[in-house]
Amino acid sequence: MALSTFALVSAACGSGSSSASSGSSASQAPSDITVGTLYSGSGSFADQSMPEYNGLKFWISHENSKGGVYVAAYKKRIPVKLVAYNDQSSPATAATLYDQLITQNKVNIFVADFGSVLTAPAATIAEEHHMLLFDQSGTGTNFFTPGNPYIVLADLPTSALWPKPLVAFLVKNKISKVALVYGSNDFDGSQDTTIVNGLKAAGITPVYNQAVPTTTSAYGTTISAIAATHPEAVVELGYANNDIAFLSNLQSSGTHFKMVFTVFPGQLQQLLEKNVGEAGMAYSYTYAAPPLISYNSVNLGMGTTAFEAAFQKQYPGPVNAPEVYGYHTGLTIQLALNHANSLSQLSLRSALMAESGKVTTLEGLFKLNSQGAQIGELLPVAQLMPTQGNANTSVQIVYPSSQATAKAVYPAP
Amino acid sequence: MLFEYAIVAGVLFGLFYSFLSIGLNLVFGVQRIVNLAHGDVIMIGGFASWELYYTYHLNPLISVVVVIPPTVLVGYIIYRLVIGPLSKAKDPEMLSLILFFGVSQILEALVTIFLGNNQRSIPDSSLISKPVQFLGQSYPGVWWIVAAASIPMMGLVLLYLYKTKLGTATRAIMADAVEAAAVGIDVRKVSAITFGVGLGITASVGAIAPFMLGGVDPSEGVNLTILAFAVIVIGSLGNIAGTVVGGIIFGLALELTQLYIPSWSSLIPYALLLIVLLVKPSGVLGRRLRSA
Repeated sequence: MALSTFALVSAACGSGSSSASSGSSASQAPSDITVGTLYSGSGSFADQSMPEYNGLKFWISHENSKGGVYVAAYKKRIPVKLVAYNDQSSPATAATLYDQLITQNKVNIFVADFGSVLTAPAATIAEEHHMLLFDQSGTGTNFFTPGNPYIVLADLPTSALWPKPLVAFLVKNKISKVALVYGSNDFDGSQDTTIVNGLKAAGITPVYNQAVPTTTSAYGTTISAIAATHPEAVVELGYANNDIAFLSNLQSSGTHFKMVFTVFPGQLQQLLEKNVGEAGMAYSYTYAAPPLISYNSVNLGMGTTAFEAAFQKQYPGPVNAPEVYGYHTGLTIQLALNHANSLSQLSLRSALMAESGKVTTLEGLFKLNSQGAQIGELLPVAQLMPTQGNANTSVQIVYPSSQATAKAVYPAP
Repeated sequence: MLFEYAIVAGVLFGLFYSFLSIGLNLVFGVQRIVNLAHGDVIMIGGFASWELYYTYHLNPLISVVVVIPPTVLVGYIIYRLVIGPLSKAKDPEMLSLILFFGVSQILEALVTIFLGNNQRSIPDSSLISKPVQFLGQSYPGVWWIVAAASIPMMGLVLLYLYKTKLGTATRAIMADAVEAAAVGIDVRKVSAITFGVGLGITASVGAIAPFMLGGVDPSEGVNLTILAFAVIVIGSLGNIAGTVVGGIIFGLALELTQLYIPSWSSLIPYALLLIVLLVKPSGVLGRRLRSA
């Protein structure tokens, strides 16, 4: 397949490319720090990948406006240069381009594209080439293994942790007939496993638990099969396109469930509202992700409010979660460069491990486990509450009670 | 009851898949070329329908008809300018594959550049706001509307082929282009018109496809081309009636798989394609092709 390749140079600086494991004397300081990444300019992940990419570009332009990112190894600010290629949402294309970033562009910092599907090839290639992968949002648990130091999860916790508050919510509300449908990929599969195990620990066996292909766009028969089990809660775990199709099909089928949970309305609310409509999302549940959860008391980068204001000047419109993830990836790179004593990949990783648990950002506490996976913040359960006679929906946190902004409406009217 | 639901859903989707694939088979039947940009033409029909709905509040069912004339014209022009001359080349089939692959990439890129990469949806309420009750089960009303719209549209294609002079000429070319030319049929002109009609009917299905596919996005073309290709191979390449049968078989296989082994639902219909190719390489209605 022909590749649409696009390189963006974000800093007006020399063309010299630096080695991935440079020395640390000031005289050897590279003219720029090269960040290499991929984005999906088209395809099924474009909706999520492009805003994440914009978030990363925002961080780069912000740092370059100060003369570059501070690199502790050279005790000076060095401009950041971005090299980015369009993988068109194709893992096969991504694999080739990831390899190109490392072997041809010889980037200093290696960043994955959005999500587990497009991160999977990067994880393998990074380990092979001994490059530290800044995994933006590939939260599948399989990427993180004890023997692999070449990966760090920059943003959300691993997807296996995501549903923990949801499971607690279901158990607390004595919802025992739970139906699960999930995409057959690492991201959704690991969430499903967590839910099944969590429910099992509470003595609950799901009444329906089936995987569907990630490419599924029609859920009519699946919804009918779920309805036949008379569930008290239905959890659909998919990417944004899956959520749109599921919620749309549910609405048009006339089937009503007491509780419906999907993943992305809390991260891409505008996109979901535009495609499903407010009525189709009313009273459904989701994960509440930043910027829905605000963290303004931070010690690295901007807090939520400051970020939203600054970001909107460059990218007008409501700020969504992937944009926050992209910016936060930049902050993670910044954290590594601020503290690493060389540009070697393992030094970058060690710096992040050393700072783990000490830093609070607009995503909350930055904390990694020994395998490089985020474990800092869990995602609360939120519900989309209709307002103004169903003309709008507002996302309200309903669990845990310590973060709740509203009481859950169960069963949904 | 679930079995019955899957059967009904399979037939409804099957009619849609038939409609979705018929243009590809029409073009193949006449030209013996696979239009790899078939799915992208559907995508463009979907975006046209979306635009017409949101800008002019035009009912997507009307868009099904509205998109046909301009697409037929574009198809006719493309044929006269590009495909006709291409057919004189040494290896026109291979060249046309490359050509349409390029067209597919260009169309996707253009739509992404001008309309963005976000998925777009048209609300179901633009066609029908209530579900349809049938045999004690509740079905999305749009499934019935789209399936019902597919029948007359496919009927029109069959009417064109079997009840018009142009259709008779088209079928003659489908059977043997050299003999058709020998009896005085203007093969180039008829082929150009048929190519335009094939594209028109393809854009037309695009106008209602978002209701069955969950929306329209610039990158859906490739998958739709593969799906349509599977349908016409199952039914029989070059046989329009076979496309209807192929679509329904594909729809039933997909829905029954989604019911019983959903994680295999992207595999089974294509496994079926392989089985058909192994057992009856000419497709389910392959025999009719030879006697047509």
